[in-house]
Amino acid sequence: MAKNMTINLRIWRQKSPETPGKLVDYTVSNASEHMSFLELLDVLNEQLIASEDDPVEFDSDCREGICGSCGVMVAGIAHGPQQRTAVCQLHMRSFKDGDTITVEPFRARAFPIVRDLVVDRSAFDRIIAAHGYVSVKTGSAPDANAIPISKDAAEEAMDFAACIGCGACVAACPNGSASLFTAAKIEHLALLPQGQVEASQRAVAMVDQMEAEGFGDCSNYAECEAVCPKGISVSGIASMRRAYMKGVFSK
Amino acid sequence: MSRPDVTLVSALMSPVGRKVLTGVTGIGLVAFVIVHMIGNLSYLSPDPQAYNAYAHKLMSLGWLLYTVEIGLALCFLLHAIVGVSIQVRRRQARPVGYKAYKSSGSPSRSGYSARSMIFTGIILLGFLILHLNSFKFGPGEAEGYTAILQSGEEVRDLRRLMTEKFREPLYAFGYPVVMVLLGMHMRHGVWSALQSLGMMSRRLSPYIYAFAALLGALVAIGFLVVPLYIYFSG
Amino acid sequence: MSDEVTNSMSELSHSPRLDAKVPAGRLQEKWDAYKDAVSLVNPANKRSHNILVVGSGLAGASAAATLAGLGYNVKCFCIQDSARRAHSIAAQGGINAAKNYPNDGDTIWRLFYDTIKGGDYRSREANVYRLAQVSNNIIDQAVAQGVPFAREYGGVLANRSFGGAQVSRTFYARGQTGQQLLLGAYQALSHQIAAGRVTMLPRREMLDLVVANDRARGIITRNLVTGELERHAGDAVLLCTGGYGNAYYLSTNAKNSNVTAAWRCYKRGAFFANPCYTQIHPTCIPVSGDYQSKLTLMSESLRNDGRVWVPKDPTDTRAPEAIPEDARDYYLERRYPSFGNLVPRDVASRAAKKECDAGRGVGETRLAVYLDFDAAIRRLGSSTIQDRYGNLFEMYERITGDDPYRTPMRIYPAVHYTMGGLWVDYELQSTIPGLFVLGEANFSDHGANRLGASALMQGLADGYFVIPYTLGAYMAGIRQSESISESHEAFTATEEEAGARIDRLLNNKGDKSPTQFHRELGQLLWNHVGMARDHAGLEEAVSSIESLRDEFWERIRVPGSADRFNKNLEFAGRIADFIELGSLMAQDALRREESCGGHFREEYQNSEGEAVRNDENFADVAAWEHTDRRPVLHLEKLSFENVHPTTRSYK
Repeated sequence: MAKNMTINLRIWRQKSPETPGKLVDYTVSNASEHMSFLELLDVLNEQLIASEDDPVEFDSDCREGICGSCGVMVAGIAHGPQQRTAVCQLHMRSFKDGDTITVEPFRARAFPIVRDLVVDRSAFDRIIAAHGYVSVKTGSAPDANAIPISKDAAEEAMDFAACIGCGACVAACPNGSASLFTAAKIEHLALLPQGQVEASQRAVAMVDQMEAEGFGDCSNYAECEAVCPKGISVSGIASMRRAYMKGVFSK
Repeated sequence: MSRPDVTLVSALMSPVGRKVLTGVTGIGLVAFVIVHMIGNLSYLSPDPQAYNAYAHKLMSLGWLLYTVEIGLALCFLLHAIVGVSIQVRRRQARPVGYKAYKSSGSPSRSGYSARSMIFTGIILLGFLILHLNSFKFGPGEAEGYTAILQSGEEVRDLRRLMTEKFREPLYAFGYPVVMVLLGMHMRHGVWSALQSLGMMSRRLSPYIYAFAALLGALVAIGFLVVPLYIYFSG
Repeated sequence: MSDEVTNSMSELSHSPRLDAKVPAGRLQEKWDAYKDAVSLVNPANKRSHNILVVGSGLAGASAAATLAGLGYNVKCFCIQDSARRAHSIAAQGGINAAKNYPNDGDTIWRLFYDTIKGGDYRSREANVYRLAQVSNNIIDQAVAQGVPFAREYGGVLANRSFGGAQVSRTFYARGQTGQQLLLGAYQALSHQIAAGRVTMLPRREMLDLVVANDRARGIITRNLVTGELERHAGDAVLLCTGGYGNAYYLSTNAKNSNVTAAWRCYKRGAFFANPCYTQIHPTCIPVSGDYQSKLTLMSESLRNDGRVWVPKDPTDTRAPEAIPEDARDYYLERRYPSFGNLVPRDVASRAAKKECDAGRGVGETRLAVYLDFDAAIRRLGSSTIQDRYGNLFEMYERITGDDPYRTPMRIYPAVHYTMGGLWVDYELQSTIPGLFVLGEANFSDHGANRLGASALMQGLADGYFVIPYTLGAYMAGIRQSESISESHEAFTATEEEAGARIDRLLNNKGDKSPTQFHRELGQLLWNHVGMARDHAGLEEAVSSIESLRDEFWERIRVPGSADRFNKNLEFAGRIADFIELGSLMAQDALRREESCGGHFREEYQNSEGEAVRNDENFADVAAWEHTDRRPVLHLEKLSFENVHPTTRSYK
């Protein structure tokens, strides 16, 4: 049978971007090791509704680690202690009965808090809109096999394309940099012939937008790679810089 | 979409440019540090005048030396300015910090060396000023620190100056401590510079990271053996 | 119509309200003929037309990007914080197309035929044929956008066979095909956002459709951050809001997937077709406890190498590895010797349920069967298995704590996809002029059962290649002077109604949370309108749902207020609609006195327990019209001029 656990939570509560927030203590005494961390929060919220308290707001959607909606700091680590796992797939068996877990929102100036653990990550959408695409309209595509792409290139592009846009990289970065997110998209497209046409201007536009959004500098800590649910490599950041400088000098 | 309007200056002020500047200047400084360290090791040569001869040769390079010195000064300056600006932007990028924060562990490179770059950097800057004051601008031939090389040339006796300084415990132990900090700074810095200059691939990365650690350690050891030797052999 | 309700609804004739507008001519030439004849909209006029696209999944994002590229003014709405998070992102397996790159004999006809047969002959021939026709363009488009499909060593696209198809026509990007296709569409959408042709409105929930003079004129949305109700006027509304599988509470759908937008359109006059057709996917990770919030799908591809079994003896509680071969029942291989573990989804799901009902289920809850890779690992080596399924095995271990390399997986069926949806004609237009429905939200292409790797194909076909033409037919016929502004009384009235529903929820101050009601509804639907249905159970479901609905409005407690981010308020509104939908699902299942595809009626099976279809009386689409009293049924009779309905057999 599944073990019953008591978990103490210290959760960041904040009503709006303007009002100051604070950590509030809660206890869930009927947790199970088979629960996901978000299910623990669900149970807590049911408890809070029953006692006429305000439930904790947090984003979540697919709960299978692919949509990138969820993301909180669990015990000081973005998405919690298990690597390569979004918090929706973090299970309570990673914790011990009686543990006290601090839960905070992803923090960055570019990710303003909406409420409690919910943050606004629209800065990422604006980075993609800056040029995170191939400029091709519907209907103008040649046959899919017209341009051969080596298996290795396709696989490597896929490694970067796997980014779920959750923002853990920003949250974990001591500097609050969005370099891994930005680089992942630049690299995904730069590795494919379809994306190479606009590769340098894409890199310049996206890096400039990243700067405009108020993200911090990258100090090559690689903390982002360690917390990335998809394990995206910081080697992409190196390539992004190459593409950026090429974009500048080839002008 | 038209190409965004970028100039070389605006590019160097961009997040990528700042890293490139840090990396390029850092590599310049690493080169200097390695040459300096090898030079220092000549103190341990069986030839008692080897060190003074090396120093003299360096000084007699003339304009070439001045060019290198100006270059190094620029490197220091830029490296420090960008380093501090990154630190300032870091505060701006996360105005409210975490109550609980820790590293997720490997493959994170965010260990002590990486997290202390700004502190080791500031200490190294302070050290540099003291160091220049003690040695480069310290007592020379005018104060009687003169040595005669085998060739009969009369040169500044840096060896004596060094020997005297490192007989003092503050110098003998203070220097090695700073050199350990230099090694730490280089451990993250060398890896970081290559990453910043885009010279990294996923396969190469672990080797380069190990190489950076090795280089940092070698430089630290290379520098600290001389003061310790002087102190303990005295 | 409402006065003509008869006892035996199957005797209804084709409803004049349901004109499918299928073009005349040979099946193969219908779409081309349509495109040749359809009116074009003057480019200068396109700029002055506002199109509202609700939802940003494959259908919504592709439609919004394409229409904006054509010059329309587009507003796109999504409930997530970013268009990139729509639930299409979770699709794993792949996307079908009739490219025939492997040269294994695939054709557009075969893809059409497999899809219509897989749907158990309950879909419209012309729509399905068009879907197969445009499937190839989708792959071209996706590749041009930079979708990193799997490749062969020679650099050409790789294909695999999926869901028991006899040809390899499935394109894939690891187990993340939906994610990659969605990112492609999202990037195309972002391109148009940057160009100023799409206004993207994330964190918006559509709460109602504004209808005036019998046309869709706009929508009312709630800003999920500020709580504000907003009015958006448009010349056409494209509903791309996905399926309603979350009616069951536990499903593989995302937490925010819901029926509200579609249900509101239903209540404004759009007919809801075939709500009883739900797909139960056989390979999901079983429920582990009461706290369970959703179910996780494990790709169907696992059945290519995994063997499904249960212990022969229900009392055998040994660890699976300790149970010898002769004490195991590989029931799929036993019952379906030619297809074995690769029988279609509906068949595999029902078989698992049958074993568990007989007490042979495994695991703590006894609601699971084993999916065993031991034989495959011994035959192929664990490194081959790792290459094929490594990421799935990892995911399984992360969720359950068990290592599938060493011990069999435990799996159980879960609600996955809904074939039913708003009724649309060939132009994807609902029964409300100006309201178009795309992707999973419509009923059109999958009949009673959807084949693997066809959902992505349909969403993108609708958005990229169908709606750009068919919307033109509607837009060419409307005049700008007919547009109404957001201050029109229809907007005022509709917004007031939406506001009143929210107030009612918040002011009720009962004692049960939205989730409690959702679980109860889910349990009811799962038990009675799930994998196997019968008359008595369905009648019970209708009446139980009725009382649940009354209880809901008596006892619901929604915390917080309307003027802020309030997840429970969102949930409560959606659950209220799910409850009403649940009742319609049961009524539709009750009316359909046959077994077909995802709809299995216990009364209609043969001596071997296989589904028995009734083409004579039920070769139709059941489209329900909302009235103040009870839903009224309209039928679209399906005619098969090109294929002949046969019994699906996988023996």
